[in-house]
Amino acid sequence: MPIWDVYGKRKPDDAFEWAGSIKASDLEMALVLARETHFRHKEGVAYAVRRHGESGDGELHVAPYPADVLGGVTDHSYRRQEAYAGVGGKHRRVSAMLAERGLVIDRPRPPLGRGTESARSG
Amino acid sequence: MTYEEKSQAFKARIDAGERIEAGEWMPDEYRQAALKFIEMHANSEVMGALPEREWIPRAPTLKRKLSLTAKVQDEVGHGQILYRVAEDLGKTREQMFDDLVNGRTKFHNVFHYPTYTWGDVAVIGWLIDGAALVNQKALLDSSYMPYVRAMRRICPEESLHLRHGEELVLELVSGTPVQRQMFQDAVDRWWQPIMHFFGPPSKKKDMLLYWGIKTRTNESLRQEFFSTYVPKLWDVGISVPDPILAWNDDKGEWDWSEPDWDEFWQVVRGNGPMTGVRLAYRKAMWDTHAWVREIFAGIPEAA
Repeated sequence: MPIWDVYGKRKPDDAFEWAGSIKASDLEMALVLARETHFRHKEGVAYAVRRHGESGDGELHVAPYPADVLGGVTDHSYRRQEAYAGVGGKHRRVSAMLAERGLVIDRPRPPLGRGTESARSG
Repeated sequence: MTYEEKSQAFKARIDAGERIEAGEWMPDEYRQAALKFIEMHANSEVMGALPEREWIPRAPTLKRKLSLTAKVQDEVGHGQILYRVAEDLGKTREQMFDDLVNGRTKFHNVFHYPTYTWGDVAVIGWLIDGAALVNQKALLDSSYMPYVRAMRRICPEESLHLRHGEELVLELVSGTPVQRQMFQDAVDRWWQPIMHFFGPPSKKKDMLLYWGIKTRTNESLRQEFFSTYVPKLWDVGISVPDPILAWNDDKGEWDWSEPDWDEFWQVVRGNGPMTGVRLAYRKAMWDTHAWVREIFAGIPEAA
């Protein structure tokens, strides 16, 4: 089955950038599978596919979806980070509330920022 | 150049921090190790969708149902991306799926276990996704560049899942005593499988480390998991069923109890409590959807 390279752009005036590849029997399927695999979460405003390698005609096929349709027309924010913003702060508030109730477990723990690879190499 | 010389030159490139692309010459050992590892990763994404999928109809609110549905779709999508990477190493997707559903290849130990309560969903969403993210972030340094690109795409989605999981946990631990107990019971059930998830301490000559497909040992990843998640659990009054688990300031690392590795080997060899049920489900889908794949493949032209 032919391989198709998938391209996307984040903003209307960006150039198309390679986003991945998929396998599909024809252009129509390639456009469907590229959207489902790479553009479910508002990753961009447009995408396109091109037959991979020498077997293709080299043509870039841009998907016929307006920017506001790509990634869903109803509210799909639950699929994106923004819907869960503030979790760190919520964790601190819940911890403070549980500390008042005397539920926090006090055992030896690494000083803040230590014990992870990023901290070690830093 | 002989095969050995080419192989040595290849190894030298990896040691120098160079990355390998899909079409390049590579030693058979490298190709096989990368394929097996990435195929197992893809299998795990696809099988990992199932324990959570079981809870979509039982999710307590519409919001949770939507989030869980989207997450299950993401995991299957990660499977698609990873199978695409694995295919270029020389095995067809059809063969990989056939091997998976017939029990010839492996998937991660944690997806062989049952999910009894909503507390299990919280543990999977936060701690198991958290453990997976520790592993996957380390793979951003892999020597196989197509795999790195897949990880760059997958990691941001996993951190979204993680936030959702953490939010879910916070709801349970700030709730009623019954809700808190539900989460505590789930942590107690899952702790050993999570310790197993990082694997036994890496061997001296681990092929994946040798070829730079992985760049960090199982032990260092497990330690990072402790530092990131254990203090957060303690902060919300949830204990971990390991009496010696604590940061050892002299050693600069966590003391912990080695789990029973026999259970790990039993489970990954396909004898886990839910292995049969989950594979049977995947196999039934694979068999009944054969006609869909035929259509996707295109109708052959008449002779």
